[in-house]
Amino acid sequence: MAINKKLLPLLLLISSLSSIATSSFSDPDSDSDLVNELISLRSTSESGVIHLDDHGISKFLISSPTPRPYSILVFFDATQLHSKTELRLQELRREFALVSATFLANNNGSDLNKLFFCEIEFSKSQSSFQRFGVNALPHIRLVSGSTAKLSDESGQMDQSDFARLAESMAEFVEQHTKLTVGPIQRPPFLSKAQIGVIVALIVIATPFVIKRILKGETLLHDSRLWLSGAIFIYFFSVAGTMHNIIRKMPMFLQDRNDPNKLVFFYQGSGMQLGAEGFAVGFLYTVVGLLLAFVTNVLVRVRNLNVQRGVMLFALFVSFWAVKKVVYLDNWKTGYGIHPYWPSSWR
Amino acid sequence: MGGKEDPTANGSPKSESMAGKKASPPDLLSSISLKSLKLKTKQQELLLRVSILGLVYVLAFIARLFSVLRYESMIHEFDPYFNYRTTLFLTEKGFYEFWNWFDSESWYPLGRIIGGTLYPGLMVTAALIYWTLRFLRFFVHIREVCVLTAPFFASNTTLVAYFFGKEIWDTGAGLVAAALIAICPGYISRSVAGSYDNEAVAIFALLLTFYLFVKAVKTGSLSWALASAFGYFYMVSAWGGYVFIINLIPLYVLVLLITARYSLRLYVAYNCMYILGMLLAMQIRFVGFQHVQSGEHMGAMGVFLLMQVFYFLDWVKHQLNDTKLFQTFLRITVTSAILVGGIALGVGTASGYISPWTGRFYSLLDPTYAKDHIPIIASVSEHQPTAWSSFMFDYHILLFLFPAGLYFCFKRLSDATIFIVMYGLTSLYFAGVMVRLILVATPAVCLISAIAVSATVKNLTSLLRTKQKVPQTGSTKGAGSSKSSSKVTLDQSQPFQKNGAIALLVGVFYLLSRYAIHCTWVTSEAYSSPSIVLAARGAHGNRIIFDDYREAYYWLRQNTPTDAKVMSWWDYGYQITAMGNRTVIVDNNTWNNTHIATVGRAMSSYEDEAYDIMRSLDVNYVLVVFGGVTGYSSDDINKFLWMVRIGGGVYPVIKEPDYLVNGEFRVDKGASPKMLNCLMYKLCYYRFGELVTEYGKPTGYDRARGVEIGNKDIKLEHLEEAYTTSNWIVRIYRVKPPTNRL
Repeated sequence: MAINKKLLPLLLLISSLSSIATSSFSDPDSDSDLVNELISLRSTSESGVIHLDDHGISKFLISSPTPRPYSILVFFDATQLHSKTELRLQELRREFALVSATFLANNNGSDLNKLFFCEIEFSKSQSSFQRFGVNALPHIRLVSGSTAKLSDESGQMDQSDFARLAESMAEFVEQHTKLTVGPIQRPPFLSKAQIGVIVALIVIATPFVIKRILKGETLLHDSRLWLSGAIFIYFFSVAGTMHNIIRKMPMFLQDRNDPNKLVFFYQGSGMQLGAEGFAVGFLYTVVGLLLAFVTNVLVRVRNLNVQRGVMLFALFVSFWAVKKVVYLDNWKTGYGIHPYWPSSWR
Repeated sequence: MGGKEDPTANGSPKSESMAGKKASPPDLLSSISLKSLKLKTKQQELLLRVSILGLVYVLAFIARLFSVLRYESMIHEFDPYFNYRTTLFLTEKGFYEFWNWFDSESWYPLGRIIGGTLYPGLMVTAALIYWTLRFLRFFVHIREVCVLTAPFFASNTTLVAYFFGKEIWDTGAGLVAAALIAICPGYISRSVAGSYDNEAVAIFALLLTFYLFVKAVKTGSLSWALASAFGYFYMVSAWGGYVFIINLIPLYVLVLLITARYSLRLYVAYNCMYILGMLLAMQIRFVGFQHVQSGEHMGAMGVFLLMQVFYFLDWVKHQLNDTKLFQTFLRITVTSAILVGGIALGVGTASGYISPWTGRFYSLLDPTYAKDHIPIIASVSEHQPTAWSSFMFDYHILLFLFPAGLYFCFKRLSDATIFIVMYGLTSLYFAGVMVRLILVATPAVCLISAIAVSATVKNLTSLLRTKQKVPQTGSTKGAGSSKSSSKVTLDQSQPFQKNGAIALLVGVFYLLSRYAIHCTWVTSEAYSSPSIVLAARGAHGNRIIFDDYREAYYWLRQNTPTDAKVMSWWDYGYQITAMGNRTVIVDNNTWNNTHIATVGRAMSSYEDEAYDIMRSLDVNYVLVVFGGVTGYSSDDINKFLWMVRIGGGVYPVIKEPDYLVNGEFRVDKGASPKMLNCLMYKLCYYRFGELVTEYGKPTGYDRARGVEIGNKDIKLEHLEEAYTTSNWIVRIYRVKPPTNRL
């Protein structure tokens, strides 16, 4: 009995402690249930992105007590805005899926179940959008295990974090969750089967092509084709297209002060926007081709008035284009180019 | 101004000679009496041409002397200092010493085998000029020779451009091309007096090789092919850009083969040039067996083999009279040749006999490659992709003329015009990838534009002339010139044509004069700065000269022990060894990425960690370049992120995000703690917090970045300030010896 007397308070203490624990701390069983449910949801989608709605949000993020054993990266999508290409929603969604797939491929074990990639769609879960306080897209938010309030914007991904698409998204995730995503594995541009088919086609076609080459009757012998190709390469180079590709420059920017206004020209040498380069490259090409046209084709035209008209038009256009390009260049680089006269002339 | 003069000459030769022939026979008397004074038309033309060329030659030279006038006769920038130092060594110690030179003053403690890792063409050329001048009893200093080498070769390039233009079009185009290239900013940027760099000689060699090769293809003569092989040898000895030649020429040959322009002339020219050129190129130690082993040179070899196949097929076709038999034979040979070639290439690459492409070459084909994989290439400002404004700045109206020139070339296709078109297009593409390659494209752009100018002006002036001599049109028709058909149609619309032609001519001359103005301005204002002496405009428009670099280097030379080791970012390595005469850890020859990364790591670590690294490298002095006082923007703080990236590429402990705040690089109060306490920050901003740089701004206001610095109270533990130049641009610190252990 003596033992019983000592045991009773102990038992009482333990039972009371455990009841406190269940009320104040999260129940490990329910946590693992949620995780298991998330895992099963994840396994249904190919890239591992879970599609959530209002119900799912409340279940996994609101009703679950705060030190959650998992973080959730939410991508906010809106089908009705897919038509607006400048938001790049679809592209970002694809990149998001890529990060998710990479995360799945590079992790196994416990880390795998610490982060889940989810998306919610505006038309189906408007109230969740309100809860998150999201009113502009694109928006990606990391809800870490300790985040209590959904409107807490600390986990929001900045514009700069998805500027370099999947790579920068992965960096963001790695910085904020201390998990590793690993190098992004983009699907190859051509699958192996496609490459095989192409190689086979080339091999089969080679003898026929060589035969035609020897006979001298391919497209390759058409100088006009070469000419247009040459002009294209010229245009491609001088328009700074390589610059746009390497630096991934956008075609134009939105004015910071006035979002409705678009900025097409960037001031400052060494940088350019896409549309700007193409416009100037086009002006270059037009003047050059007009010169060739006037001196080589126009002289063959018999009708005097046509000749005169075209000539005047060409002169006018060339003059305007040269003027415009020189003006733009001076504006862009900030140089004022002027001739040097002998000092006695002044 | 040269551009203005010569178009008049283009128009003159042909029509004038016709006029001359008509005019001279009737008045025999006058021709006899004036015989001693009046030249024949042919002679007149020759005189005109030679004098124009002479003027252009001089023009090309003097346009490049702006830098000497504005500053002084000095070597520019970074690499030229290395070239100058080696040239000095060559003239003092002789060729064999130079060839076997092991330099222990750079890349400490590794050292560098100079003789085996440089292109000696430039130094040997300068030394030869120097020795020749000495032989002729002109006692000049070697520095003057080095300073003026680039303008001298630019002048020679105009001559080559003339002959090249003559070869692909006519003498008129040649003259225009010479004039255009003489002042084209794209070329001047690399060849002003003082920019004693490989490119100065290499562009001459490049154009010469191309010219000789085109000539060889045109004539099919062994001597021209031999000459082009030697031109190629000179190019290989002068610049790594020779890879462009050894890929462009095979590509050209390939295009000729595809467009059914194969000929025995081509066979002779290419085989001779390739084989001899290869053997000669292998004599340069830096190239050596790369020429037959590296992937960049494989295209040339493949085309060489293809040529043999073509020749063989031609021979078999000649032997076999049966076409059907030949067809089957053809199919079998071609397939087996491709197979054998493919297998050989595969085996060679797999076994490591053929080395894969180098990063620099690869980044040309896939331009995004360097950005992601090789920070040391991506960090150099001249490797940035080109925006349209740079093209405009360097080519100006040539850009407008280029498409017209292309059109003219296609109208009159020949082996030579195909070459120039290919050269123009490939180099323009490369110029779009890297700013510095605008230089390579310049000759081609000048030549093609010259064709446009020359052909246009020639057409127009001949139009004007035929109008004046209406009765003679009948006889011109008989002459059967290539343009006669268009002339005949023109005759029917006389009144308009004349006005139109005049208007167009005026337009062309206006453009050319704008070009001349642009080029002169650009040369004088933008491309003549030596970048070792900096110039700025003061508040009253006066020029202020900052000569801090030389001040610092001479301080090093005079005040430090001769065996002192100086650590700095690699940009300044060549200058320190050449002017300061002290050993450096890394320099502009970026051959060892790990070593550079070590320096990058030291610069971006905390002082005590950096101290260990510096001790392990025996560093005595640290040199940093700082623009906060003067507003000089290409200083070490702005280069700092590259140090972090390059350092982090080898040592993963260095992480770029540690130095950024929300992806932004800052030095003010909001900067990351690691940034505020790393060695580079401390060395740059030491004592800067006490200084007032601009009126109305707080102390420690950084003028280069326009912010007040975040850490004004910097204490140095293992280093002490040794010297700071008058404008604070260069700061030198002494590394303290370790304290005695008690």
